[in-house]
Amino acid sequence: MRRNQKRRVVVTAMGVVCAIGGTLAEFRRRLFAGRCGIDRLTLFDTTGFSCGAAGQVHGDFNRRLGPHEVRRTSRCDRLGLVAAAEAVANAGEGLFDHRRETAGVVFGGGAGGMLSWETFRRTLWREGKARHPALVLAAAPCTLTDLVANKYGITGPRTTISTACSSSANAIGYAFDLIQSGALDLVITGGSEALSEMTFAGFHALKVMAPDPCRPFDAARRGLSLGEGAGMLILEERDRARRRGAAMLAEVLGYGINADAYHMTSPDPEASGMSAVMRQALVRAGVAEEDIDYINAHGTATRINDRMEALAIGNVFGPRGRRELMVSSTKSMIGHCLGASGALEAVATVLALHAQTVPPTANLTTPDPECGLQKLPATAIRHPIAHALSNSFAFGGNNTAVLFRRAQTAADSRAPEAG
Amino acid sequence: MEPIVVTGVGIISSMGVGKDVFWRRLMQTRSGIRGIDRFATDGLTSNAAGCVRDFDPGRFMPPMRYRRMSRISKMAVAASVEALADSGIDVGSMDRDRIAVVIGTAYGSSSHVDAFFMSLLKNGPRGAQPFLFPETVSNAPASHTAIFHGLTGPNSTFCQNEISAEAAVSYAAALLRDRRVDAALVGGAEELSEILFRCYDALGALNPVRVAPGEVAQPIPAAGLVLGEGAAFLVLERQTTAERRRAAVYGRLEAMAVTGGPCDMGRYEMAGTQMMRAVQSVLDQARRPREDVDALSVSANYSKELDRIEYRCFRDYFKNCRCLHGVTPLKYLSGSFGAGGALRAAAVLLGFRHRMPLPVVALETLAPGFKGPVAWEIPPEQPAATVLMSSATFGGGAAALLFSSGH
Repeated sequence: MRRNQKRRVVVTAMGVVCAIGGTLAEFRRRLFAGRCGIDRLTLFDTTGFSCGAAGQVHGDFNRRLGPHEVRRTSRCDRLGLVAAAEAVANAGEGLFDHRRETAGVVFGGGAGGMLSWETFRRTLWREGKARHPALVLAAAPCTLTDLVANKYGITGPRTTISTACSSSANAIGYAFDLIQSGALDLVITGGSEALSEMTFAGFHALKVMAPDPCRPFDAARRGLSLGEGAGMLILEERDRARRRGAAMLAEVLGYGINADAYHMTSPDPEASGMSAVMRQALVRAGVAEEDIDYINAHGTATRINDRMEALAIGNVFGPRGRRELMVSSTKSMIGHCLGASGALEAVATVLALHAQTVPPTANLTTPDPECGLQKLPATAIRHPIAHALSNSFAFGGNNTAVLFRRAQTAADSRAPEAG
Repeated sequence: MEPIVVTGVGIISSMGVGKDVFWRRLMQTRSGIRGIDRFATDGLTSNAAGCVRDFDPGRFMPPMRYRRMSRISKMAVAASVEALADSGIDVGSMDRDRIAVVIGTAYGSSSHVDAFFMSLLKNGPRGAQPFLFPETVSNAPASHTAIFHGLTGPNSTFCQNEISAEAAVSYAAALLRDRRVDAALVGGAEELSEILFRCYDALGALNPVRVAPGEVAQPIPAAGLVLGEGAAFLVLERQTTAERRRAAVYGRLEAMAVTGGPCDMGRYEMAGTQMMRAVQSVLDQARRPREDVDALSVSANYSKELDRIEYRCFRDYFKNCRCLHGVTPLKYLSGSFGAGGALRAAAVLLGFRHRMPLPVVALETLAPGFKGPVAWEIPPEQPAATVLMSSATFGGGAAALLFSSGH
């Protein structure tokens, strides 16, 4: 296949905060160690729920922010600001030149500052008074986009995509478009999500939550675990990154985006949309099926999602997809971070490419024969990975797959947190 | 670059349900801003908003299809039905993978978010209503639109406060220019819920006007926002695609730009620098001098800040240009909502179709100190051939779209 001749887009830095790591280095260490960060949820009272576990971010991450950044921002915004600050710090010298209009911010978000809104709403209901109205402003998913753009003086396009669980994967895709087309040279992209009572109760009401930490692709899986966190990636035009001597952790080659147009909460039983979106990413990237070495699966651990995703992998990659292709689910360690999951899993995918190591699926003891995936490592495994896909599927039948390629020279492959 | 044209329009608005009713009332400058009669507003500073009235989703789809939909999803699907029919596109004869659905919405279904959370507060975890939850995601309207029409192409939802729809248009146009799709249903949708209204009231952002429920309101200039709701869709295609199927073209999307600049959260960028950079960008992209702009669709919304920013910036930038003979602040008639850009764009395109200039007010209406009343007029000049739509939102974002009639 002929490779796209347009401008090339590379990942030059990343930042993370989630249940298994407050920094990129910590996340990487625990990701490859298969550490599960899903444990007792303490952010709010879970009495009455059949599940009390989630991938909560513990520790005082607020101390990494200035007082003005903590005041009147939501937990979601603060997680995002921390991860964005780490990505910018890791990006090294010369990230921002004088042309701030050639930089943009594209984030994905789901519930945004819902936790803050819940405080406002509860007070309004109980006391009949609208206290702390600033909490309302913090609830919109685009608040973080504005905060980050304003913090770094970015005057190019700023935009927020909200397509539930595929939000930040779509954000990465659009950021890729903006650079590849020449509209921008640099985009801070990713997403952030905080646990909230509403989303927790929502998935609980739909009866898709596991009572214990989730077990993607396991025969005994009982549903998903929710999580929270933020993943941020700096995408740059390759020549610009090279000129400033930036590390090139991986290259974004393309993405697919489509809709099942089938049902709001159930995937298409033939997995047509999931299959088509992976094929679309391959075509756009100019990469053949046999060149994909690893798939960071959406892997929620619900009965139906994992079965449909495995079916889609089989549809696209044939028998090799089931028997030889490495597949793992990061959600087994950090939970389903909804609007941020695409970004966090993209970070995990880039780390996998960088370390030439497939991250494990935690809590996996007996791979589900119905899924039929045979290369599902339960511990990290060294493996040559030239190209990797990161899948994200969402409520409403929104599907996205982002395709990454490993950095091509040793000089490009510096440690991700080295700057 | 191949031109992008508009071949379909669909509108559900406070000024009328359906594009023809909307257009008729727009030319009569009949305001959709009335005293709210859909929910209680006791004790609030305002009770005026641009609520959609007389909306029967059954006119657009069978009851079974909208049984579980939120208000915003119903309005979105209804507007998309009208827009697709208007475009003449036969979905069955096209590759459904190559028709995109892209929507802008600031808050999605705030009523379902509230109803679900209240069911949790009142009934506990086991009493929370599961059927409400899927509608709480912002992409529900876009997903329902795709499901209703069977559109399996790219599907996305943009949330950027008051420039949500403009962001959606930018993405849809990029998909078309990159030839990744052949058509895009693009627009915006917003619903006005009691909780959203109360939140804005708590922020002190609303225009302090109160009238009897259902009665037309006269908001106080530059005294605060007047909220609205509705949905509007455009069908975008590459010009060659539209020509091939002999579609009637409303007009051409010449250029678009989204920018942003530092400002305090919850406020507009007071200097208007980024708003004017977006304006300059679209003129540069289209290689048109500012003198070519025949008409200005402004985003003034009765707020204390935005109206005066637009007044100051446009007064200076378009000095001596014919477009300053009057400007069109459509939100003065429809109310302001996150996806309002889609409605404003639709109005511009209807003006092209009917070969009529849009109603305008004097630019000074936006100036600080203007006391009212707002005086609308239909300009006596020729219909506009080039219309600039400028937008800004609190938080620092700005956008501009440039349309031409092609006449």
